[in-house]
Amino acid sequence: MRTLAYYRGCLASLSAKELATSTEALAPQLGFDLIELESVTCCGAGDIHEAEPDYYLHLNARILAYAEATGSDTLMTICNVCTLNLRQANWELKNDEELLARVNTNLESVGVPSYSGGIDVKHLLWLIAEGDGYDRLKEVAHKGLKGLRVAPFYGCQILRPSKLLGFEDPDRPWTLEAIIEACGGEAVDYPAKIKCCGFPIIQAREEVALGELLQPIQQATEAGADAIVTPCPLCHLSLDAWQSKLEASTGRRFKMPILHLSQLIGVAAGLEESELNFKRHVVSVKPVVERLAV
Amino acid sequence: MTEAAVHTEYATMDVALKIWRYDSSTGERSLETYEVEAPEWVTLLDVLDIVKDRVDGTLAYRKSCRMMICGSCGMRMDGAAVLACRTRMAPLVERGHVPVISAMGNLPIIKDLVVDMGPFWGKIRAVTPWLDTGYAPLPDREHMVEQEDVTPIHKEALCIMCGCCVSECNSMEADPDFLGPAALAKGFRFVGDPRDHADVDRLNNLNDEHGIWDCTRCYFCNERCPKGVDPRDAIAKLGAESVKQGIDHDMGAKHAKWFVKSAETTGWLRETELVPKTQGIVASIKQMKFAMNLARHGKVPLPFPPHVADRVDESRALRKITQLQDRQGALGHVQGERALARIEHTDPGGARRDAPEVTPGETPPPAEG
Amino acid sequence: MVEAKHDVLVVGAGCAGMRAAIEAFDAGADVAIISKIHPVRSHSGAAEGGINAALGNASDDSPEKHAFDTVKGSDYLGDQDAIEILCNEAPGDVYQLERWGAVFSRTDEGTIAQRPFGAAGAPRTAYAADITGHVLIQVLYEQIMKRDIRVYEEYFAWKLVVDDDRCQGVIAWNILHGGVAAIGAKTTIVCTGGAGRLYVGTTNAYACTGDGMALALRAGVALEDMEMMQFHPTTLSPTGVLITEGTRGEGAYLLNSEGDRFLKRYAPNAMELASRDVISRAEQTEIDEGRGVDGNVLLDLRHLGAEKILERLHGTRELAMVFAGVDPIDQPIPVRPGAHYHMGGVDTDVWGRTSLEALYAAGECACVSVHGANRLGGNALMETITFGKRAGAHAAEWALTHTTVTVPESAQADAEREVKTLLDRTEGERPWAIRDSLAQTMHENFGVFRREDEMQRQGEIIAALQDRYAHVVVDDKGDVFNNDLTQALELGFLLELAECMVMAGLARKESRGAHARPYDYPERDDEEYLKHTIVRRTDSGLMLDWKPVDITKWQPMERTY
Repeated sequence: MRTLAYYRGCLASLSAKELATSTEALAPQLGFDLIELESVTCCGAGDIHEAEPDYYLHLNARILAYAEATGSDTLMTICNVCTLNLRQANWELKNDEELLARVNTNLESVGVPSYSGGIDVKHLLWLIAEGDGYDRLKEVAHKGLKGLRVAPFYGCQILRPSKLLGFEDPDRPWTLEAIIEACGGEAVDYPAKIKCCGFPIIQAREEVALGELLQPIQQATEAGADAIVTPCPLCHLSLDAWQSKLEASTGRRFKMPILHLSQLIGVAAGLEESELNFKRHVVSVKPVVERLAV
Repeated sequence: MTEAAVHTEYATMDVALKIWRYDSSTGERSLETYEVEAPEWVTLLDVLDIVKDRVDGTLAYRKSCRMMICGSCGMRMDGAAVLACRTRMAPLVERGHVPVISAMGNLPIIKDLVVDMGPFWGKIRAVTPWLDTGYAPLPDREHMVEQEDVTPIHKEALCIMCGCCVSECNSMEADPDFLGPAALAKGFRFVGDPRDHADVDRLNNLNDEHGIWDCTRCYFCNERCPKGVDPRDAIAKLGAESVKQGIDHDMGAKHAKWFVKSAETTGWLRETELVPKTQGIVASIKQMKFAMNLARHGKVPLPFPPHVADRVDESRALRKITQLQDRQGALGHVQGERALARIEHTDPGGARRDAPEVTPGETPPPAEG
Repeated sequence: MVEAKHDVLVVGAGCAGMRAAIEAFDAGADVAIISKIHPVRSHSGAAEGGINAALGNASDDSPEKHAFDTVKGSDYLGDQDAIEILCNEAPGDVYQLERWGAVFSRTDEGTIAQRPFGAAGAPRTAYAADITGHVLIQVLYEQIMKRDIRVYEEYFAWKLVVDDDRCQGVIAWNILHGGVAAIGAKTTIVCTGGAGRLYVGTTNAYACTGDGMALALRAGVALEDMEMMQFHPTTLSPTGVLITEGTRGEGAYLLNSEGDRFLKRYAPNAMELASRDVISRAEQTEIDEGRGVDGNVLLDLRHLGAEKILERLHGTRELAMVFAGVDPIDQPIPVRPGAHYHMGGVDTDVWGRTSLEALYAAGECACVSVHGANRLGGNALMETITFGKRAGAHAAEWALTHTTVTVPESAQADAEREVKTLLDRTEGERPWAIRDSLAQTMHENFGVFRREDEMQRQGEIIAALQDRYAHVVVDDKGDVFNNDLTQALELGFLLELAECMVMAGLARKESRGAHARPYDYPERDDEEYLKHTIVRRTDSGLMLDWKPVDITKWQPMERTY
């Protein structure tokens, strides 16, 4: 078993609880022993990162410090935005002694342990894809996806900026496809799989966001996908909860089920509905469940 | 002149390209394949020159310096904007890859690989792109400026106006009126310049519709920029300065401020209240039907009891500290740049997978393993 | 039909052109700029190391010291009245750029930073990291936008309109939409830069085809010191991409294949900061005598350290990695001399006036002469600003005191006929072979070292190429973005300029500055040749003449570094 510090993030604790339940049920099967960080806050998302960057740096330094305090050398994330935020903060702290010293002084003054740079932040997707992950996955996904046609939607902030993320080629990523196939599904390709779902501006600029959202939903539908899988709960919210809003601009009622990565593998691994929590999705996942039950 | 033609002492290779030809007068598009022999050191621009010289003189593209400073040769290779003069062909030839070359996106195409840069320049002009020293008296000699006060804009000052960022902007694709990464980066070049005294006017202008808060944070601009300007970061600097200076009437700013409020009160995002806090009560009421549907699926967590993080007082205290220390506004972003600049000459952070040759949208080869 | 008439028309939108336009506009003239590429694409933007002015921020300095260094650097061919003007006005002109917003690097005191540069007695090269030209292009274009100065963008200036012994404007080809356009102006200022594209291995952009010089030549205007082409010592092979002198200003070494800092044998005092012609000759000698590395020498930055390289020479490092495949933090950069800057050009006085009334020239395409037989690094940018400003001021004044502009209808009609003939031609050869042959032979026969027989041969080669050029074929017969046509016209310019250069080179029977004749005339001959060459096209062909050098303070002395 591999021990990993685990950062759930905001959405998995709130509107995307299904992500937390499926991840935590799946983890032991993947060989991950998760130590959930208790005394942490929101990573700040793109919002605190933009508006109050120094506060963002400290919030993330605190998360990293508590992760380091668990004794693990790796912090697992399950959200793209958390991943980018934590990795950027981590890089800044690990590569600028003066900055690290200042932040540590501040952390210590409020009772947080100092951070010495001993953590590597990795998204669940990468932890699965590392090493011989795909082979292991085939055993885990014993029930299999039975040829289910799944379109991967990566989400911006697990690919770009690649100099901070860099796990795979940002223009030709392949990890989700490999996972889909290792679980017995059929990966569906389409151009918008690396583009933006619009979530960061879905409140402030809804029309613009919907113009972006339309692309993956429409392209995946036209490519014949049965479902979309995404490693980011923010993308999931856009793709799933806002999907119905696309009808107003297009006249089309899309019905594309959106799965979290942990749910995709989870359903192939035989997790229960109480763990998968498909009922929490706005766009019904029933067609997928029925397909797999046959 | 093609330097390629005269250096016969170099080894040569066979290079193939596919180019989207376009005639704006007829509206005809066609994908043409070209195969030429070229020295092994050539760039994409050199290959285009060989094609134009020896195969088809009607091929239209812009070029000048061939050393990535003039910004003329922006174009798309496999759907992603690059400077043609900076793109070495040998690695592609080695992989057996035939790239598809097309004009940059988000701008009207005049012919083949030549786009109309009029809209691009229109947006640059819209940010009042010249120094405004306001009422400050001009010195006899130079303004005295410490180097560390120049540093906040040194990345934005690198911009060569090539358009690669604009080409790939996801937000601009959905909203063609978005000012876009190049114009906003130019905007910060002035907001962040200590000699410029028009901050308030500039920020008010950039906080309008189609400004700062239109950015969808897709980071395509950072990824494509051939000079390391990082326009997305410039936009973030503008957002930080806007909030710091109290120019926060835009929903985007309100959205951001609610995240801050959440982090210092409950630690976790107060998700449900985010909607009215961003859009206001009236707009929220209009969204009621939509919200009810979400609520049925549990997507609208009740704000009570609040989901409070353990030891949230630490977060509160950290906010107070950062409010007092001198890294407010854009400086909070600039402080990380020294470390981020180091990435360029070390390995990328993480293992690059050997992915099969697939461009999104093309039929992928069968998976292995 | 004349497209428009202006008070002042500036041809070319680099530093000189934009500075001239701004000055003329501020003087109250109706100004327009015509440029075959967008202004910010101009090659001034590729300048890297810096701009010279005796600001005195890095050490004690004075305009007089600057002037002496320039005079000596010119190998005493520079006109000293013009040089004194340049050096006196330089500081004020640099401050103006900064007040407009140029993003200079700074000293600890907050003043504009200055670095040492070749052949300068004091560190006076004001810089912005290693992208000084880029920074200046940006600030000047910002000021153009602020004043809303009209730019005929992507119009190719092809001929000067001459009527009544006066320049009346320009005939141009509209690149974006096609068609010949006549643009009238009371005064015309050519600021079209150099002609490095005459050579393989040049630092110059594709756009640097000597357009303004050829335009002037064809109108019978005098060209000066055409044989003086500077070969920059540190360019990449085979392309000629520039590696800035700023590397040497920051302390880089030049090594041969034996790891030896060979300049100790050629310029023992100044070493890597000697004058450019001295270093290029030294490098070429080392290479010719077998101490090169694949036809290059090595520029070593390693001892400067990663921090300094990343901070001050970031752009340079990128260029080395992309175009030479080396990271200068870990490896030396292979470099060799490359055609870089044309000291010669349209003969002007200190206000930019040429031998044709109402025609001005400024910047690299002009020869005032402030650079004589060799230019100091950092002086070119300064020349564009100071003399661009002066030409703009004078042209505006002249334009505002004169009322008429006459563009004869025949001017446009003739041009249209010429274009039609060219486009109608289907039998003949494509321009590229002529162009590449010209560049290769100029490199071989009119490069760093010159000799009588090779120069003679080059003259014959050029004549043969001109015959072939008479049958050149343009593939693209269309209107929209036809740069196949404009590139063919540019080749015509290059051929004519090459002819002038070789003629002047043969006439100067001495070695001075960039004109090095070690085999036949190895010494400088002040008695016979302390004078400028003047080449002019007349009805009986090209004529060569001479013009004395203006000497104010400094008598020619032996020139060593």
